[in-house]
Formats: sequence, C-alpha cells, structure tokens
Amino acid sequence: MFKKIVKNFGPEWGAVVMGTAALCITMQLSSEVARGFSSLLYVGLGFYLLTTVMLITFLIPWTLRFFMYPEEIKKDLEHPIRGNFFPTMPICFILAGTGTNKLGPMLFGPWFAYHLSIVFFLLGVIGIFTFGFLLVRTQFLNKEIRHEHANFSWFIPPVSHLIIPVLGACSMDVYWAETSLAPVLFIISMIALGVGVLNFFFVGAAIWHRYIYTDIPNGKLASTTMVGIAPTSIIVIVLIKFIQAIEASHGSLFGINFMSLFSPVKIIASVLWGFSFWWLVVVIILLHNYIKMKDHPFVFGWWAYTFPLEAFVVATGLLAKCVATSFLHGMLITLNTLVVAVWIVVVFRTIKWLESGAFFKPQH
Amino acid sequence: MKVRSIIIALAIVLTPFIIGMLLFLARGSGRIPVKAHLSTDTRRNNEGMAYKGIEVNWTFYSDWKYKPLFFHVDEYFVFVFHYTNSNAHDVVLMPSYTFVPPGNKRYSANEEISMYIEDGIERTLNVNDQTPITFKLSSNEVKDYIVTFEKSPKLKQFYVDVDIWKDVSLRIYYRKIDDGWEYYKSERVNKYIGRG
Repeated sequence: MFKKIVKNFGPEWGAVVMGTAALCITMQLSSEVARGFSSLLYVGLGFYLLTTVMLITFLIPWTLRFFMYPEEIKKDLEHPIRGNFFPTMPICFILAGTGTNKLGPMLFGPWFAYHLSIVFFLLGVIGIFTFGFLLVRTQFLNKEIRHEHANFSWFIPPVSHLIIPVLGACSMDVYWAETSLAPVLFIISMIALGVGVLNFFFVGAAIWHRYIYTDIPNGKLASTTMVGIAPTSIIVIVLIKFIQAIEASHGSLFGINFMSLFSPVKIIASVLWGFSFWWLVVVIILLHNYIKMKDHPFVFGWWAYTFPLEAFVVATGLLAKCVATSFLHGMLITLNTLVVAVWIVVVFRTIKWLESGAFFKPQH
Repeated sequence: MKVRSIIIALAIVLTPFIIGMLLFLARGSGRIPVKAHLSTDTRRNNEGMAYKGIEVNWTFYSDWKYKPLFFHVDEYFVFVFHYTNSNAHDVVLMPSYTFVPPGNKRYSANEEISMYIEDGIERTLNVNDQTPITFKLSSNEVKDYIVTFEKSPKLKQFYVDVDIWKDVSLRIYYRKIDDGWEYYKSERVNKYIGRG
C-alpha cells in the first residue's frame, strides 16, 4: 500500500501545504487589525502547526518517489500541467520559513525561530532554482508542447522564484539586518525577484496568447485561473517586506534609503494590488462561465483556489500598513473569512476525492 | 461522503481552531506567566521631549517576561512611545527605533515579540498600538507605539534612538543600578543630512 501511495504521490501535493501554510500569515495579519481579532494570532499558530505536520507527512512520499519511481518523475516533469507543480514543495519550505519567522518566536523564542527560518530559506532556494532550471530545460526541449497547452499553472515556477524574496526580506527585517548574512539574503532575493518578475511577463504573454487565440482550457483547469492573482500579490508582499527590512536597518540598507523609497513603493504596491483585485474579478467571470457550462468538476487542482487567494489577502494586510488603512483592514477581515471558507470546502472535497479512489488513478 | 471521511475532514479543518482556542485560553488564564515591572513613565513628571510641535513621552518596562510555548522565559525591554501633536495642523509620523548597547552595534526593534505581548501592554496602559508603518496624528491627538528589544543578560547600559524628525533623533539613555534600570538622560542628536 505504501509503495502504491509513493508511486501516485504527484508533485501537486505541495499545493495542499501551500494552501494551508499561507493561512497562518493571513490570520497573523488579521489579528493586528483590532483588539477583538487578536485571538486570530493563536488560530494562525494552529495553522502553522498543522502546516508543519502536513509538510513532514507529505515530504516523505514526495522524496521517496524520486528514488523509487524515477520514471514517474520523468513523466510528470514532461507533463505540461503537472510538471509545473514540482516547485510547490520547495515553495512550502519558504512558506514554512516565513511562518517560522512570524510565529516561531511564540513557540521557540526569537533566536531559534530566526535560525530555523534561514534553514528553510536555503532548502527552498535550492529546490526552487533546481526545479526552475529543470522545467525551463524540459519546456524548451520538449517538441510536444503546443499553444493550447498554455495555462495558468505555468505561473507556478515564476511564483516560486517571486516567493524567495518574501522570506529573504522577512529575515532581513528583524534579525539578520546587520549581520554578514544580510548581503547573501539580499543578493539571492534580488536574483530570484528578477527571474520571477521577467518570467511572469514572458509566461503571462504565452498564456494570454492561448486564451485569446485558442479555446480556453476545459473545466478541470478552471481553478488554475486563480494562479494569475498570485504574481502581483507576491510582488506587493516583497515590496512592503523589503521596505520594512530597510526601516529595520535604521533607514538605509546597502545605501538604499527608506525615505526616498517608501513613497514610490506605496504607489507601485497599490497599482499591483489593484491588478490582483481586477484579476479576482476576472476569475469570478470565468468561473461563472464554467459553472454556466456545467464544466467545473472537482479535481485536485482546486487547491489552486487557496494559496493565490491567500497571497492576495496577505498583500491586502501588508498594504494596509502603508495606505488606506481603514478600508483595507475591512477588506482584510472579509477576505480572510473568504479564504478560510474556500480552504474548508477544498479540504472536504479533497477527502471525498480520496474516498473515491481517484488518488490511484492519475491522469496524464 | 462516508461518515469516516466526514470525521477526517472535520478533524483537519477544526484542528487549527481548536489549537488556537486552547492556546488563547491558556495565555488568557495566566498559566503561561507574563509579568513586568514598570521602570519609567515620563508622562508623570513631564519629562518627555518636544520638538517641532511633536511631544514624545515613553513608558519603559525593563523586564517584560515572555515565555515561548516550548522554550524558557526571556526578558525583553519594552518601550511604549506616546506621541502628541501640539501643532495646529495634522502630521504624519513614520517612526523607527534603534537599540544601541556599548560597542555601538545597532539593533532594530523586534516587531514579532511586540505582536505577542501587545495585548498585555495595551490592557495595562490602556493604549492602542499603531500597526501602520506611517500614521496620521491630528492636532492635539495622542497615539502610541509599542517597541520591543531583545535583552542581553550582561548588559549594564544602553541607549535608544527614536527617529521621527528629519534632522534630529531623540536619544534616551539607561543604565543598570542594582537590579533595576535607571533613566538618566535624554538628548537631541543631530542627524547627518547629505548625499552620502
């Protein structure tokens, strides 16, 4: 039985951990809004512990599969949809590190938490860059890939790179700002940001082309549309965490001055947040279309509804620290309730999906 | 869905909320000790500093104890800065805080620890911590900001720089006397404003 589980444990399972991990941050941000919501910090801690259990549990079959079933791994890597889910597990390291950075001090004290989050950062960076190169190589050399294969799951590799500077900036913010590790964190974060932003543009153009000039994907891929909300949301998070890191470095980090950067960051972050909000409406319009066509069956890919939306909630919470605080605080609480509801629905549907035995019938 | 599947799904979705509730109740009931001694409150003797129409007072807890769930208790320095705008117009503040022990290594405030202890401080002092990076202060309005620094056990003295003005910092000095911490002076320190 265990061997069968390992064989069918596809790369997409990282999305479950991602969708759960980000909730600990949305809860933590919501807890800051008003005294009445401060208990959400502890619910966030609950999500952090659940994420840790999930990460350890899923990491075992996910890793063993590379050694026990390399032919399955190769097949998945070459798949135009499933292949893009490989970076989800390294993303989980970055998210676990971010959760450890924010909530770990409450469990282990600051020293241990900040060191542990650096371990997660390095593991995540290695995994994300490795899969990033592997997937680019596979896509460039694969002669079978066509226009009509483009879909929003292709955003996952750029998103994986974009998420690196989130933890990089969080780490520079409180503990590592004036240490010899700060330049290393900064350089790795900036490289990843460059890779993520430019790949987001390139891949985005390919997907846009497909959506306009060929049919939109069938209902099984409907949920991947939500991934489109993630890149700009994560860039908002990076910008604001980075400005907080500069502030923590007494107003100047590597000669980058807080006072001169804060105003442009507020404008750029608001503009990008606006795009994410607009994209949320686009998702609702497309979702309405799929539901109207009765083409929106539950598939494991529904987990794509969780993390990207949660990233948008985190972006909303952080933007509230800079602009339109009262308005965005209201949105933060509303959206946080929504993402919890979405997560609960997806958990129930996943258990039902597992009950049906679909786990052992992977669709290539 | 089978009953067994419903139970599994319920167990997963309820776990974070049950853990959260238990931890919240445990903290609230005082089973996890959190205590602190007030060392300085400059509001009492009008000891704060005013510059360009902004008055800064502070309350200092020299040994705010915080116990992480799985680790031993640690003590932190906690400052609550109280800003009053005595100008006729609104101002926008963007404060930053630096802790400097002997040797001049500079440490920034620990926002995470502040987050965990702010409920207790807000209740004790009846203040409301500001969460935005910048906040507006209307004429005659008072706003509060909680700042936490990690505390080294061998420390004998330190100062804290409060940066809210463009041209000067407020520097607050403390030294250890017996088991307590004494505030002994504060001063305005000119800041370098140049192109370097």
